[in-house]
Amino acid sequence: MTGQGSGVPHADVLLPFADAALSFDSARIAPARAAVLAVLGEAAMIDAAAVIAGFNGITRIADATGIPLEDTKADDTADWREALGINAFQAAKT
Amino acid sequence: MRAELELSQQQAWHRVAAPGTWLTGAERVAIAAETRHALDCPHCAARKAALAPLSVPGTHASLGALDAADVEAIHRIHTDSGRLGQTWFNGVSTGGDARYIELVSVVVVTVAIDTYRSAAGLPPQPLPTPLPGSPSRHRPSGARPGPGWTATLRPEDVTADEPDLFREHPGPRERRGANIHLALSLVPHSMIHWWDCFEPMYMTGPQMRVFETEYRAISHAQLEMLAARVAALNQCEY
Repeated sequence: MTGQGSGVPHADVLLPFADAALSFDSARIAPARAAVLAVLGEAAMIDAAAVIAGFNGITRIADATGIPLEDTKADDTADWREALGINAFQAAKT
Repeated sequence: MRAELELSQQQAWHRVAAPGTWLTGAERVAIAAETRHALDCPHCAARKAALAPLSVPGTHASLGALDAADVEAIHRIHTDSGRLGQTWFNGVSTGGDARYIELVSVVVVTVAIDTYRSAAGLPPQPLPTPLPGSPSRHRPSGARPGPGWTATLRPEDVTADEPDLFREHPGPRERRGANIHLALSLVPHSMIHWWDCFEPMYMTGPQMRVFETEYRAISHAQLEMLAARVAALNQCEY
């Protein structure tokens, strides 16, 4: 997935950067980082790396503590959570 | 690096080395080291590739400083967090729910800082030197069960014995509106440790809700897109 069609500017370089960052593979990360730097500049690369890193932590907090989604958010997002396959994540838990 | 980001990460990394509420500085640094080590664990790799991770026999490749239950928790949280369930939690014995929460906080601070530095092309921070001292072993008197697997401390149950974990002062409360704010609250100093590290990486709660102002070099929409991507890659249901 490249992010084309998302409507979010520069998704085409930001999403591959996120994918590479989570791999901890410097050979993947370097070109992805270079693409963000070339298109958006250093400050944007730093802030993109930061939010990727922050959510790589906070997702683990949610999953390691069993914190449930708030009922109102679950109700508001029920349709697209099903459409995106997010509900299938629950079935994989052990 | 943005000055606020650099300062917050330096502070968060130093706090790993200090005695916590349930863990010594040496134990906390050992948890950080084991967190890094998990990425090279063959048992974790085999489990990650399996449809049923708990069906895979074997033991973790560990550094040997922590007991097996701590290692299991650290490795699973780092390498396969999206498939953690209550059955697993109930079976992992890490010395009580509060000690577990503090362990989680050290793991996630380590993961976040290491992810940032790796993504930004910076070398990993050397492990800090543990500081002497004893854990306080203070459990908030207002803690009660739920909404997750451990007890939590709700804002309305905070007493004068606790630090300002929800940023109530000077007001209005900054850390509010989502269950995720409660997740580490059983150990207030661990909650503060995490959120003081996380908010400069993302935004504070109030900043998140002001869409007409951009606080970072990328937009709210770009930040949220990246957050959603990471959540999806980690199979995070929340």
